[in-house]
Parts: sequence; structure tokens; C-alpha cells
Amino acid sequence: MRRVPWFYRVLLHAFPADARREVGHDMGAMFTRQLQEAHAHRFGAAKLWLRASVDAIVNGIGERFNRPRRVQGHGAGVKRWRWWMHAFVQDVRYALRVMARQPGVTLVAVVTLALGIGANTAIFSAVNAILLRPLPYDDPHRVMMVWEKRQAEGVNDNVVSPADFLDWARMNTTFESMAAMTSTAVDLTGNGEPVRLSTALVSPPFFDVLRIRPQLGRFFRSDEAIAGKPRVVVLSHQAWTSRFGSDPNIVGRSLTLNGTAVEVIGVLPASFEFPDDSLDLWAPLALEGTPQPPTRTSHQLTVFARLKPGVTLEQARADMERVGQTLQQQYPEANRNHSAWVIPLEDRLKTPVRSSLLMLLGAVAFVLLIACVNVANVLLAKAAGRRREMAVRSAVGAGRARLAGQMLTESLVLAIFGGAAGVAVAWWGIAAMKQLIPDSVPVVGLSHLRLEPRVLAFTAAVSVATGLLFGMLPAWQLAGQDVNASLKDGGRSPGGVRRRLRVALVVSEIALASLLLVAAGLTLRSFQAVLNQPAGFRIDKSLTVTVLLPGARYKTQAAFLNAFESLEERFASLPGVRLVGATSHLPLSTRDSRQGVTVEGRDPVPDSPTRAHPRMVTPNYFKAMGITVIAGRGFAPADGPESPRVAIVNETMAKRYWPNASPIGKRVKFNGNGEEWMEVVGVIADVKHWGLEAPVNPELYRPLRQAFSPLMTFVVNTEGDGAQLAAAAREQVRAVDPNLPLSRMQTVADVAAASVATRRAGMLLTAAFGVLALVLAAAGIHGVMSHLVALRTAEIGVRMTLGASPTRMMAHILQEGAVQATIGLAIGLTGGVLLMHAFRTILFGVEPADPFTLIAVAAGLFITALAACAIPARRAMRVDPVTALRAM
Amino acid sequence: MRKLPAPAPQPLKPLVFQVLLALVDGDRHGWSLVREVQQRGSFAQIMPGNFYRTLRGMLADGLIEEAPDREETGPDDERRRYFRLTAAGERAAVDEARRLEALVLESRAKKLLSRRG
Repeated sequence: MRRVPWFYRVLLHAFPADARREVGHDMGAMFTRQLQEAHAHRFGAAKLWLRASVDAIVNGIGERFNRPRRVQGHGAGVKRWRWWMHAFVQDVRYALRVMARQPGVTLVAVVTLALGIGANTAIFSAVNAILLRPLPYDDPHRVMMVWEKRQAEGVNDNVVSPADFLDWARMNTTFESMAAMTSTAVDLTGNGEPVRLSTALVSPPFFDVLRIRPQLGRFFRSDEAIAGKPRVVVLSHQAWTSRFGSDPNIVGRSLTLNGTAVEVIGVLPASFEFPDDSLDLWAPLALEGTPQPPTRTSHQLTVFARLKPGVTLEQARADMERVGQTLQQQYPEANRNHSAWVIPLEDRLKTPVRSSLLMLLGAVAFVLLIACVNVANVLLAKAAGRRREMAVRSAVGAGRARLAGQMLTESLVLAIFGGAAGVAVAWWGIAAMKQLIPDSVPVVGLSHLRLEPRVLAFTAAVSVATGLLFGMLPAWQLAGQDVNASLKDGGRSPGGVRRRLRVALVVSEIALASLLLVAAGLTLRSFQAVLNQPAGFRIDKSLTVTVLLPGARYKTQAAFLNAFESLEERFASLPGVRLVGATSHLPLSTRDSRQGVTVEGRDPVPDSPTRAHPRMVTPNYFKAMGITVIAGRGFAPADGPESPRVAIVNETMAKRYWPNASPIGKRVKFNGNGEEWMEVVGVIADVKHWGLEAPVNPELYRPLRQAFSPLMTFVVNTEGDGAQLAAAAREQVRAVDPNLPLSRMQTVADVAAASVATRRAGMLLTAAFGVLALVLAAAGIHGVMSHLVALRTAEIGVRMTLGASPTRMMAHILQEGAVQATIGLAIGLTGGVLLMHAFRTILFGVEPADPFTLIAVAAGLFITALAACAIPARRAMRVDPVTALRAM
Repeated sequence: MRKLPAPAPQPLKPLVFQVLLALVDGDRHGWSLVREVQQRGSFAQIMPGNFYRTLRGMLADGLIEEAPDREETGPDDERRRYFRLTAAGERAAVDEARRLEALVLESRAKKLLSRRG
């Protein structure tokens, strides 16, 4: 016999254990046979599954509640499920009537639930798009990245040298294909306006590693990755549609890239996704047949590889470790302490955002819990008012299960309304999140942020779970009540159990809200700490213009220099411009490079290479950017090609390589043939290059006139708003070289804002959820307290008749509130600190137990809670004691 | 309070009657019951939960019983439980058949069956 499908075996658990023992086996066998027969029909299996699931659940639950199936029908052929449906429809209609009778209460409950469910749906859509959705490659779990590991430096994701990559690809035994990638930019001319296209250079197996098929044409052959071969290129789908009008005959067409003819051989499919989605062109990376042998010291490649079937990550890691060790022995000079590290591409892409997303998911879950507590409280209050009604229905024969079922149905109907409204909230929330998250964030899946079926299924599940959660309390309360007593006192006595339950509700609201506020507070403080980091440069009133001169037309160093200097002059002559300078590496632009250097008189420290990040700048750059020269001098126009070589270092480099002395007058040079000694003439204050929160690397500045860079970013410092200059600046670029593609222009403020955009988005979302939690909790506490005080109106009346002063009564009520708030805060703050300890990586410059945050949250919530108590308490004080007594 | 008179026998559920009818010829196991009832064509598809819950109900009400010593293994190595009609089951089936017969006779008398083809 074929095995019973596991899911059916799970379904059988709807039946009580004795029934399962008796007939479970037979049912499984019967279903398996039916399944075999069902495969003959279209969708037969799916229909059978659907019917069998409903059948198992309905009959299983039926078996639990009213024992074996009655053999006699209900009158003339009315089926039991019809009766059951009838009861359910009746309950739903009754629930709708109850809801309509108290529109205010219903509206508050639905809005509360909509906010909670909507926030959860929105964040889950992000989790779904980014974390849950598999990468859009065939068998994505086998796609790996291979990085250079430098244990001594604590780095295991360094880019790879071409020679090492070639050896890795040849020596490994665990990958079926391995490919390297680097990126560049090329100028496309002769196709309308000249444009700059960002281009990926990949070794030919690249598309095999990802298992992508071209939409048109083909991908690279291995012989096309040899220098000097006819040049070929593959277009991204985006470039094909936007730049070439989706020309179906594009394959075979010749393009002029950087002044050279290149043939289009293929087009990528629209479905292709890559973390860097700005890439327009894909060209073969020539590592072999180059004039010089591949280098082992210059690192620039990112390596992708696909595991052979059946190979585990551990095996691949061991294999690459072996390869790395072999290369270390062969090239002790260049590869000292270098090895290789394998990491799944998914981990690499998803890990950076995982903790932020999970924290947000946790935050919205707490918001929803608070919403649940609020609605449960509203329903409890309603249930208390309806005790008499329930008692009457019970007395005339409604079973307890039927009554509890009806209460649950009411909760479910409420939750479904809340969920439906929540979808609208989520739709809006997703749109807001898309605004918040900058396009530049390289996260695969961001474009899939939407309300798709899986997200809506989540919403439905959350709504039902929510309904059961907050509906259980009133239903359970009802089940425990004494019909006689309720009928006698008309449903007014507060009852000890119910009071304790409400106190527990208040405590849990405060605990949940404080926990969430601790998270929000710490995120906010982290953001503040990041913003308070000195950037080292002026952020406002500057426009940046990046210009890359193509080597095909600018043949000499003098030609580059002339073009850059005339651009600088032209920018400076624009009205409203104060100062113009240029740099090869604009801070916060994610453009960087690094080279080994030799510091005169400093012995190399083993395992800690002496390196610096080179920057080529014009003399006015430091002033235009507002960078402080803290020792020596800045560059002068006199530091020209013929004068002695000079350099300026940043503070970090000065402290690291000349720890106990001034670097002024000392000499330094880049490693490599033909490099000259440079004299350090100045030290500048540190500039944040990789982000306000990132550590600063040693930087070595050279005058552009003594060095070379094909790409320069001009910083145009203006009197007014820098952005207004963009059009004029563009004119000047065209005047210098009409064939130069449109340049990238951004204000420095935009560059800086983009660098903190991800953190800002996380902070804003957490803060928004924190505020939402606070408001919901305040409303909830007020609701519970109002009800508690109302229940005690009679008691208050008695006490005041016996001489208690209003002030003392007020103090009494507030004191109770204070005790509850304190308990809630103690739980919530502890939980918050522990929770944030787990999410430490997303904090910056603040400890999980940050006293400022804890005190602020505690004080804020304490005052909120007392205020929420005071309002109903004041109302109770004003009640005439006689009226209060009569209410008894 | 005076006790209400026992209610007149209610009609059997169609599936119950079908199972009783199938057992008139002799003992049968679950799957062959399903087969026969389905071949008679009055049910689109009998689902396992409903079917076995009905059997349990019939066992509990004494309409059927498990056939002793008929536990054997089928050709596909499957344990099979056989069921047989009890005296009460037979009586219920006869009652139901009479009730249905009476309904049919009345329909005939009113010429209901000759109205359409």
C-alpha cells in the first residue's frame, strides 16, 4: 500500500485519540486509495485534498464535541452540516447586529485591529520579499561567493586578485563553475546623446553559475575572455528597452563604447535580478592573454561559484582552505596569511538586513499584541454588560458551547473587518516604506515589496489568530459564570476574578508598550549618535559634479589635466559660486581604492600590512569641502608636475604610521615599480568616507598635477542652494567636451543623506511603531481603568459617605495605578534591554541598557498610565454618593 | 413533570441506510462498502471522515458489529476489519425500507411517477 500522506496524518489529529486509534488507519488507507484514483481527473487530487481536509476537520471536531455521529437524520433530509452552517450564519448575523448596535465601540475596535494587522502585513511583505523569497536563480542555495580570507586582519570578505582567482578556479574540486566579476563604466556614443553606462566585467562562466538564459542571442564563450579578441557585449533588459527601443534585431549590431566598436551578442531576460540593478552592460573579463601576467597583489574581483551537486558548504570550505594553503606555500610573498572563504550568496545578501527586519517584525508583533489586549478589554466590558443576556439565553436552553461559540464568532467577525481594513493600512504602509528606502540600497527583492498572495494569506492567518486570541478571554469568562447569580444581580457585580484579569491586562499593556518604546528609543538614540558623528566636511550649500574622461579620446596625462582644470575654472566663474575643488574619491560615495605603501624609517609589522587609501585632489579641494588642515599646509598650485612630490595624510594615517612624531617632512611612497618618494607636507582632520558610523582608514592625498585620475568629482561650494547650479554646471561640461556623457550631479547634503538612509528608514519605522504602541497602550489603559473605576463607583460612594475625602480616594486609585504601572515597567524594561541585547548589531554608540532611554521611557509611560487613571477617577469623585449607593 | 412519549422513529440518514443495505448480502470490509455504495450512484464521493464517523455511530447504536475472526490480510498486505448486520440493524433497515416503500406507494397513488417520462 502507498504511504498515507503526512499532511493527512496531521489532519487526523482533529479526531480524538480513541477514534483515531480505532479508525485512523482505515481512514488513511481509504484516502490514499481515493487519491490514487483522483489523479485520473483534472485537478482531481487538489479537489480531493480540499474536500478531505474539510471532511477531516469538521468530522474530527464533531466527534470531539457530540460523540459518534447520530444515525438518524434531522427531519426530512436536512444534513448536519447545513444545520451547523445555519448556526454559524446565525451567529455571524447576530454578531453584525451587535456590532451595528454599538458603532462607536465597533469602530474603535476595527481601527485598532486595522493598525495592528496593517503594520504586521506591511512589515511581513518586506520580510517576504527580502528574506523568504528565494533568489531568482535556478537552485539558488548552491550559488556561493568566494572571498579572500585574511585571518590576521579579521577580514573574510576581501576582494580577490586575478591570479588567485585563476588558481582557485583551476585547483578547486567542489565547484562545478566559478566566475569573477568587477565593474566599470563605459561611454556609449553614436546612439543619440552620449551616455555613460555602468558595466559589469565577468568571466564567461558567470551566467552558468547563476544559470541564467539569454532572452536574445547568447552569452560569452570562453575564448572571448582573452585580451585582444574581438569585443562583445550583453545588454541588460533595462538598457535594451530604454536605450535601444527593445530592438528585436539588436543581436549582431555594433556599438561604439569608449570609442571602440563592440558587437552586441545577447540580451538578458527581464526576470534577471542582481544586487546591483544599475548595471547596463555585461562584458567579458579578460584575465588571460593580457600584456602583463595576471597580478597577485592587486585585489579587485568578486567571485561567484556554483557547488557541485551533493557537495556541502563545509566540504567546499575545506576544499578552498586547502587551495588557499597551497597558494600560500607557492607564493609566500604575496599570499602570506591569505586563504579563501566560502559563503552562500543568499547569506551574503540577506544577513545585513535580517536583524533589522526581524526587529521590525518583532516590533509590529508587539503593536498587534497591544491592539489585541485593547480589543479584548473592550469585549470584556461588553461581555460584562451582556451577562444578563447570556444568562437568559442559557436559561432557555442555549448550550454553553453554543454561547462561547457565538462570542468567538463575534470576535472573528470583528477581526476579519479589522484585517480587511488592515490590508488598506498595509497598502499605504508599503507605499510609505518604498519612499523611505532609497533605491541605492543593494537588496535583492526590494522590487517585490507588494501585497502578493502569500502576504495576504499571512494577513488572513494573523486576523483569525488575533480574533481567537482576543475572543478567547470573554468566551472563557462567560463559560465560568454562574447563570443564577447573573440573573439575580442583573450582571453588575465586579467579581474578583474579573478584576484580577483586568489588572493583568493593564500590566501587560504597560509591559508591551515599554518594551517597544525601549527598542524605539535605542534606535532613535543610535541614529542621533550616527548623525552626531563629525563628518569632517561641510555638508550644506555644495553641489558635486562627477566627470569621467574616456581614455580613448584623452591620450595623455596633460590632456586629462587640461580638461579638469578648465572645468574647475568654468565652474568657479559661475555666478554665486564661492570655491571649487575636485577629488578622485568623494567621501560617502562608496568609491574607494587601497594600495600598499612604504613609510620611510618604519619597519613593516608582520601580519599588518602598511596601506593607504589614495586620493587625488586639486589645491582648492580641502577649502571647498571645508576639511581642516590641522598641521603643515594644504596643496598649492605650485605643487606641479616638475616640482618635488608632496603628499598630505589624514589624522588616522599620521597616528598609525608615525605614532610618536609629526609626519611633516617625513617621506612615504606607494609600493610598486616606478613609484617615487613623496614628502608629507600636511595633516588633515579625518573625513568619514564609508559612512558616518564607519571607522576611518589611513588616507593619502596627492595633488592631481603630480598624479593621475580619469574620474574627478568637483565640489562646487555656493552661496545659495547648490542644486540650482546643476543646469549651469551641465552647460559648462558640454562647453569643454560636447561628447562627454551627462554627469552625475548631487548636492553634498544628498550624498550624506543617502549614506544614512537605510538607518533612517529603520529608525523612522521603529519610532512610528513605538508611537503607535504608546497611543494604543494609553487608550487601552484608559479603557481598562475607566471600567475598573466604574465598577467601583458604588464602593467609592460608600467610602465617601463614611467620610473619606475625595483627595484620599483619588490618591487611593492613583496608588493602585502606580503599582500596576511599576510592575508593567519592570517587566517591559527588562524585556526590552534583553531583547535589544540580541539586536546589538543594529545599535550604534549606545548600550542596550542606556539609562537615558530607560528613564525617558519609564517616566513617559508612568505619567501616561497615571493620567489614564486620573481621568476616570476624577469622574468618579464627582458622582453624588446617593446615586452611587443606589447603583448597588 | 410528565415524560413526553417516545418520538416516532426518525428516518435513517441516507448513508446509514445504504451501508445497512450493502451488509444484507453478508460481511464486508470498509473499502468494499464504500465501493458498493458509490456504485449505486447515490453519493458523489464519500469522504473518509464522514464515512468512518458514521460507521462508529452505527457501531455505537448497535446497528452493525465487527465480524469476529474475519481479520485477514488482503492482497496488498492491508489489515481489514469486517462488519456485519445486527438484528437491530436489520430491523432498522426493514423499517426504513417500509417507510420508503410507503412513500413510493403514496407517490404512485398520486400519479406522481407517471407525470414525467
